[in-house]
Amino acid sequence: MSVTHIDDKIKRVDAVEKARGEAIYLADLKFDSMLYSRLIRSTIARGRIDRIKVPSLPDGYYFISAKDIPENGKNALKMIADDWRCFADGDVKYVGETIGILVGSDRGVLDKLYKEFEITYTEETPVVTIDDAIKNEAAPLCKENNIMCSLVSDKGEDINEVLSKAAEVIEETIETGFQEHVHLETNGAIATIEDGRYVIYASAQCPFYIRKSICGLLGLNPEDIVVKQTVTGGAFGGKEHFPDVLAGPLLLAESIIKKPIQLSFDREEDMLYSVKRHPSKIMFRTGVDRDGNILGSDIKVYYNCGAYLSSSYVVLQRGVFHANGVYNFPSTRIEGYGMATNTFPSCAFRGFGAPQTIFAIETHLDHIARKFGYDPAIYKKKYFLKKGDETVTEGHIIEDVKLPEMMEQITSASDYYRKSAEYGYGSGRGIGISFYNHGGAFTGNGEQAIIKGRLKLVKDGDKFTVLCGQTEMGQGFRTALRKIVASTLEVGMDEVVFDAPNTDLVPDSGPTAASRSTMIVGNLGYRAALLMKEKMNEEHAEVEVQYEHPEGHPWDQSTFKGDAYLGYGWGAACVEVEVDKLTNEVTVKGVWTSHDIGKPIDELIVHGQVNGGVMQSLGYAAMEKMENTTGHFKQSSMSDYVIPTSMDFPKQEYFFVDNPYPWGPFGAKGMGELVFNGTDAAYVDAVERALGITCTKIPIPVEDIEGLRR
Amino acid sequence: MVNETYIPSTLEEALKLRAEVHAMPLAGGSDLMVQYRRGTGVVPEFPFPVMIMSSLNELKGIKKEEDGSVLIGALTTSAEIASCEDVPFFVRKAASLMGAISLRNSATIGGNLGNASPKGDLPQPLILLDATVVLQSINSTREILVDEFIKGSKKTALADDEIITAIRIPNVKYTYGYYRKIGTRKANAISKLSLSALIYVEDGIIKDFRVSSGAAGPKVARNKANEAKLIGKKLEDIPALKEDILNTHDQTISPRAMATWRRNSTRRMLDYFLSEVAKGGDEGIIQ
Repeated sequence: MSVTHIDDKIKRVDAVEKARGEAIYLADLKFDSMLYSRLIRSTIARGRIDRIKVPSLPDGYYFISAKDIPENGKNALKMIADDWRCFADGDVKYVGETIGILVGSDRGVLDKLYKEFEITYTEETPVVTIDDAIKNEAAPLCKENNIMCSLVSDKGEDINEVLSKAAEVIEETIETGFQEHVHLETNGAIATIEDGRYVIYASAQCPFYIRKSICGLLGLNPEDIVVKQTVTGGAFGGKEHFPDVLAGPLLLAESIIKKPIQLSFDREEDMLYSVKRHPSKIMFRTGVDRDGNILGSDIKVYYNCGAYLSSSYVVLQRGVFHANGVYNFPSTRIEGYGMATNTFPSCAFRGFGAPQTIFAIETHLDHIARKFGYDPAIYKKKYFLKKGDETVTEGHIIEDVKLPEMMEQITSASDYYRKSAEYGYGSGRGIGISFYNHGGAFTGNGEQAIIKGRLKLVKDGDKFTVLCGQTEMGQGFRTALRKIVASTLEVGMDEVVFDAPNTDLVPDSGPTAASRSTMIVGNLGYRAALLMKEKMNEEHAEVEVQYEHPEGHPWDQSTFKGDAYLGYGWGAACVEVEVDKLTNEVTVKGVWTSHDIGKPIDELIVHGQVNGGVMQSLGYAAMEKMENTTGHFKQSSMSDYVIPTSMDFPKQEYFFVDNPYPWGPFGAKGMGELVFNGTDAAYVDAVERALGITCTKIPIPVEDIEGLRR
Repeated sequence: MVNETYIPSTLEEALKLRAEVHAMPLAGGSDLMVQYRRGTGVVPEFPFPVMIMSSLNELKGIKKEEDGSVLIGALTTSAEIASCEDVPFFVRKAASLMGAISLRNSATIGGNLGNASPKGDLPQPLILLDATVVLQSINSTREILVDEFIKGSKKTALADDEIITAIRIPNVKYTYGYYRKIGTRKANAISKLSLSALIYVEDGIIKDFRVSSGAAGPKVARNKANEAKLIGKKLEDIPALKEDILNTHDQTISPRAMATWRRNSTRRMLDYFLSEVAKGGDEGIIQ
């Protein structure tokens, strides 16, 4: 067995079984006498339920709803708060809210019964958009003003004084839309009883979240429920908290029926009735001097949270902390508001609140640069954050910032300066540029205060088994962690075992989210392997490690002051386009990116992440349009909600800079979300230049570009 | 009785089923199977009897006739049409851009016409070329223009005892041709808008001018009176007549969603085609 080295290129350990179609996904699992289920959902955005007429159910068919929750149980899914009801009860707050779960053995019969349900409502005027929520003309659905959560971050002088002294205050509003995850595998879960205990099988990112979230329905403790992750075909944040919404009704049904019950969404359900990326509206008042130099910016950030809080407050915090992008302005004030609306709750999506504000600041700066006649690249470079600079949370940038070097890589490779100068504004050709970052792992000291991640490494003869709660969801972490542990132990990867987590068998290493897996849990694996190296002579040995926060980096979660992130990933992107002026069709001629992720743990995995993140970001800007003005999502399939194919953005050239992170395994930092955070702005910049237009709202499919011309 | 499924092995048998139980022909299934799906793990359920046409080899294939026209069997797939040199450029191109590869391998020309979606890819170039559709019943055969066959969005002139058996495309001469489909993305795309145009010049005189728009209204839009404005004229007359032709074509289309973009893009594409032709350059397809 040859020893695995950290610089080896490794074929992903799950690649072959997935490519061959041999992997067993949730919908492939079969249990003896397994039943199927459908969720019965609200068809209106807001109102009271007057009557639920349940069709007459054949033997062995069940309809289970809020009234079936036992007395010691609570009708709540405990995500961060516990405001999200497992079942609507009395009223409904959004289209698709779960009213009950229909269970039975034949999916054809279930479909027929599903269509026979008659639910009558007294409808109320819904609050749907951010503007609806701000205007507050319908009855507010949260407090007196629809503000579900809010925070303020500022630095420098009083922003109003700064703006009052400015030669000019540039006001601009930038908006972004919903985005659907479109993970290839739709959401699904199975509830059953094994050895007298409730077991949930789920396509999910965070098995420990599920048991915590649903146990209260039956008045149980998290430990009373076992969660087993099944092969997960993509997630992107869409399976961070959302599996709770399937697992909750299933658990209650299981407690009554006591047979295996499967719930698997089809694509239309997954599109219409699942969480989305938060739409945003970001308002700038930026003070500049006569030459266009920025004196300070007053930024208001509004996110559409939907009807329940879910993870929105944390998403909003990240949005606010990234609202000044990669820049150091003398003064900044950022107010963030999470608005309650009658839409499906928004939740985690790769980037977790950062992409919206980063897109906004990048686009806003492009417009200011253009107004004062500067090339955006040169204009933005003046404000690049550097090591030691103060952040908007009164913390500091702890690491070397390699943006100038990264900018050099992409501008040389793309021939940016020549093209930027030569392609006329409105010439049909354009090149755009953007810069971005992403704070790795949980904000502040959350890893220590909230998560307290643990990992165990067990040696049995020549086999080493890693036990932790991290999940493989297509991102390559199963390969990455085995590689980190093997190369630290100086053994071959085949000697390291790391399976899908079962909450009974592994310690809780925290969620697979927040770009924390490699950076935080990978480091736990590295530390455990170092300890294990002392025990290599023993036949059986176990070591367990827990996260330790580096000293000297305080954070106050009540005031949001301090070092919000110890290690950022940094990014720079150029996008070149040609636009057909007859039809507004955009052809991307090239995409060049550079990322600082500390140290790539595996070149192939990292390439996959860059490629996918960039594609998803370009799709977000270019074509992924999900509309909702009535409470109902208008797009419901993969033919009307369009994600890019490899034909759309075919050519990508990518670079990395070496910048080892002292607290990451082999110097690695988070990267999964970073690679989503910025190419969108470079694309929009390029299209704006090609057509001579100004765009303040994404996405911009051909018909929306039309509205911006002339 | 509903929900019966038949698999006829000859056209005769299919025509009989069509006449007796009005079974709906299911060709590639790429429309019907989607429209009547019932969710994960359950087969579609049709509110009418269905006959699966895939065994009817006599309705497959492409034949060039002596008069230069091309006869395409109703069960011929888009992939076969896209790769057949005998099929006129406009139809071949449209077939090559229809959906994804897997769809093009199953979707048929008969199905695309029968479904009569405003976003369908093939009706637009077929109507440009005055193609006809052969409709057969147990007792009779009739052949009508595709433009007459498709009556509106999802509406056709198909009688409940008829089957589409073939499509005939006449040999239409052109000196300059133009085809554009703007899809939702670069591949595997549904049409957001399409346009075909052609001009035939003989001895310096325009003998034929046609333009058709797809996905710009409930059905393909063509206006023969508008086209006639260029017949008998010279290329150098185009600039003077162009504005009127563009305006009239704009009135011919009737987009509801994305109306501004659809109208403006249609006008810009047709303007471009006419302007390029007016230059009198090399014959062929204008890119």
